[in-house]
This record gives sequence, structure tokens and C-alpha cells, in this order.
Amino acid sequence: MKKVEFEKLKRPETIKLPSMLDFYPLEDEKNTRISPFFSNLKERRLTTTRCEECGKVLWPPRIVCSSCFSDDLEWIDLGTEGELYAFTEMRLGAPLGFVDDVPFCIGIVKIGGLSISARIDNAKYEDLKIGQKVQLKVVELDDGRVFYRFDAAKETP
Amino acid sequence: MRRVAIVGGGATRCGKREATWRELVQEAGKAMFEDVDNISPKEVDALLVGAAQPERFVFQVHVAPMVAEHLGITPRKVIATTELMCASGQAAIRYAWACIASGMADMAVAFGVEKMYMPDMAEAQTNMTCVLDREWDGINGLSAPPFFAMTAQRHMYEYGTTKEQMALVSVKNHHYSTMNPIAQFQKEVPVESVFKSPMIAPPLNLFDCSGITDGAAGVVLVPADRAKEYTDTPMYIIGSGQANIGNAINNLASITEWIPLKLAVEETLKTAKITLKEIDIAELHDCFTISEIMEYEAFGWAKKGEGGKFIENGEPYIGGTIAANPRGGLLGCGHPLGATAILQTLDILHQFRGDVPKGRSVSDAEIAVTHNLSGAANVHSILAYSRTEK
Repeated sequence: MKKVEFEKLKRPETIKLPSMLDFYPLEDEKNTRISPFFSNLKERRLTTTRCEECGKVLWPPRIVCSSCFSDDLEWIDLGTEGELYAFTEMRLGAPLGFVDDVPFCIGIVKIGGLSISARIDNAKYEDLKIGQKVQLKVVELDDGRVFYRFDAAKETP
Repeated sequence: MRRVAIVGGGATRCGKREATWRELVQEAGKAMFEDVDNISPKEVDALLVGAAQPERFVFQVHVAPMVAEHLGITPRKVIATTELMCASGQAAIRYAWACIASGMADMAVAFGVEKMYMPDMAEAQTNMTCVLDREWDGINGLSAPPFFAMTAQRHMYEYGTTKEQMALVSVKNHHYSTMNPIAQFQKEVPVESVFKSPMIAPPLNLFDCSGITDGAAGVVLVPADRAKEYTDTPMYIIGSGQANIGNAINNLASITEWIPLKLAVEETLKTAKITLKEIDIAELHDCFTISEIMEYEAFGWAKKGEGGKFIENGEPYIGGTIAANPRGGLLGCGHPLGATAILQTLDILHQFRGDVPKGRSVSDAEIAVTHNLSGAANVHSILAYSRTEK
């Protein structure tokens, strides 16, 4: 009988983060039709789509109005100051890619008539208050992609 | 439409199991078929498998045929996986029910399974961040605990609900799960232990949250007029309700009032032709302590904002206004996503049979409901069951 061979295999020590496990979306016009959201954000503007036909403000940004199905949408500014509706702090059980950030604050922010979730930077849970003002902030990844957060720090007088 | 009965079922022990996804399937399948008289897997012509995230937890899709293969089932009418996150198992029961009621199939299995323990638990947590809108909410680290933490914070802020009241839900459900041999947690949890357990996302401590759980379960559905061929103790599906409003945080109907649940309750009472008072047992989706408090309110057992007082007064215990989660709930039994609704339904069957330990038995129970929420509590699903054919 022939000897059964036992071969050790090598696998790469690190692999590139696959795009679908990367929480940050693909933002350029080759990948999405809402790329203006991200180019506006690069200019420190938080924007979303509003339907030219029925006037509905849509969040997340869309390419078709979910109220009247018009595809005639315009970009509008939501402003740069929001109000904290609710918040918490992730202390245990963070997902991959966020583990090093723990603890970090998450909130629901009222801005421009919307209620959107966001990271709340520059804050500890104990210091935050329902109803307090938070300022728009833009974060940029090393590959140039951007996303919004809010900053809770009080402006120095 | 034909009336539909559940004639039996089986489940695995739930918890951190030294078993693979497909081994859980085999364990539950064996228990299910052994529970039903005169049944052959070859008779099953519809198979619906509730599985929330097999593609993330065990890197496998097309899982319904895998369940069929392991259980010797060769469906000739309907086979599919049903995904509705935490309500995936209830989706399986609903479709199995529809298959039998419509005449599309004559015997259906509604199965549920989830293997959630992974070697790297951060990967399991990552899976939970694609439940909400991943690109706009998940990206902010918003998985279930922080979402329900903010829900709890607003409920406390608006209605004065306290952390003690929330902890009492955990105390109750862990008490009942001490009498459930397949429950993940079988120890009493006093209020102090809830407070001393690690803080996950304030105001939620670890024991305010249901567990990460491995488990599987299945039930068998047939036309009501054939039920007695398979068991002396069938139970009957008498009604249901399901509603969804919105998905992303911005588009929820409300954070502090679960309007889709109120709609689902209305629909359930209407279709089952019952009143709230006629419900003897409610298996509620207590994924977090605050969830059960808000469910007392949305069902109408407690007034809006008074869910905290309702548990403080002992009303959701057996013998109170409603026996809520005498199985032990998700808090006590664990929450193997796709299997949860099947486990709830199976326990109702055991209650009707008089087949549960005395301390958590609801004597003379005739009508029961099972409830699941999913996502950002934007979807609510309810099934109503009767011990006798109505």
C-alpha cells in the first residue's frame, strides 16, 4: 500500500478587507447614482434628495421618490447643526472594524426635519444630554471616501 | 381556506453548543419526527426553513435543501428559506400555514435554525450590523443593543420607566427558564445581578439583553380535519397579524410606540375572533427587557407608558393579567434567530398538552399568541393558537 501523503498548506497572513465587509459604501459615480451626496459632504455639506414633483424629502438619499415614483429629485442642504434625540455608548459587543473605537457614542440626531443615526464624537455618555446641540463633522478614510458624524463638544467662548 | 393544525414538533437544547449548524438540524429533526405518530418524512410536501443569517454565520446559502436532505424530506410542492431576521421562524410558520390552508400542500414542516457562536465573536456582532440599513445606520455601529438602548432611554425619558422595572422583566423570564430544560440560561437572576452584569450600551446591561444562541426546532402542520391521524393533542392556528412601517431610523413610525405592533394586534384579534382577555398565554419577543415592557403597552394589557408599572405589580406572571413568557422568553431561553418563533410555538403546544413543569404551567390554557419583532422593531408578527378547534 502506498503511503498517504500529509502536506502542510500555507495561507496568506493578511487579506484585504472585502468591500462588502467594509462598512463604508462605494461612493463614486462609477458605483452609485447618489455620488453627489458624498461630493457635497467633501465640501462640508450634509444633503439629501427632495422630490421636485411632490416635495417629499427622502432619507436615505434616493434616485426615485417612494411617494410618487418621480425620478425628478433635487439635492437640498440639511444644515450643519442638529439636536440630540437619543444616544447611547457602545461599550461591549462592537463589530469588526469598530472594536478599537470602543467606547464610542451613537445617537439619533434631528436635523433638517429628519431623524438620522450617527456617531457622536468628542463625548462621553455621561456628558451628553437629550436635546443638546451637535455639530456636523466629516470623517475621511485614507482612500478619500468620506462619511458624516456629529461633534458634541461645546464651542469655546 | 382550510383550517390548519400543528400536530407536533421537536427542538435542540439551546445555548453555546458544541455542534455545527447541520448537526443542530439533525438533532431537532429527529426530535420533531419522533414526536408525531404515523408520520413519514416522505409525506412532507412543503418545507419552509426560517434561517436569518446562515450566509454570515456559517457561510452557507440555499439552506432549505440542506435541511431537506438531512431530514429525509423530498418536498414535491414547496421548498424555500424564509428570512425576516428575528422573525424568520415565524415567517416559516406563516408560509407553511398558507401552503396547507390554500391546499397547495397537505403536510408542511416549518423549521428554524441558527448557529450564532463563532470562533471570533466580533464577527458575530458584525453580522448584526447588517440588520438595520447597513449603509446608513449599521455604518454608525448601530446594531440591536444600541438601538434598543436608545429606545429604552426615550421610554425612561418620556414615561419615567426605570432600570429596576426593566430588570424585573429579566428576573421573571429567567425564573421561568429555570424550569425549561432546553433553555440557555437556567439560573435565577435577581435584580442585583442584572445591575452588576457588564454594561453593554447604557442603559442596557448584559442581562437586559437576550443571548447569542445556537439552536434549532421544527413543527409539523397538516389540515385540521386530518390532525387526529397524527396526534391526540393537536393545536390549531386561529389567526394572525403582521405589519411593517419603514426601515431606516428616519422612517420609523415612532421610537417609543410600536405602531406596527398595535396594527398586528388588532388584525390578530379580528382574524382569530377573540378579545384580548381571552388570551391565556403570550410568548412575547423580549429580545431586550424594554421590548417586553413596550409589548405590554402595544397589546393593550398596560396603558401607554405604564408597562414598567405593569411588571412592577407582577401582572405579567402566571395568575396575573397575562402569563407573559412562561417558557422563559428570549432572555431566559436564548435567541437562536431563525429558531426562536418555532421554539415559542412548540412551547405553546406543550402548554396545551399539559406537558410543562408545574411552576410554569398555565392551567386550563385555551388561547395563546406568539409574537416576534424584527429589525428596528419596524416589523411585528403575531400568530394565535387554540387548544381546541374553534
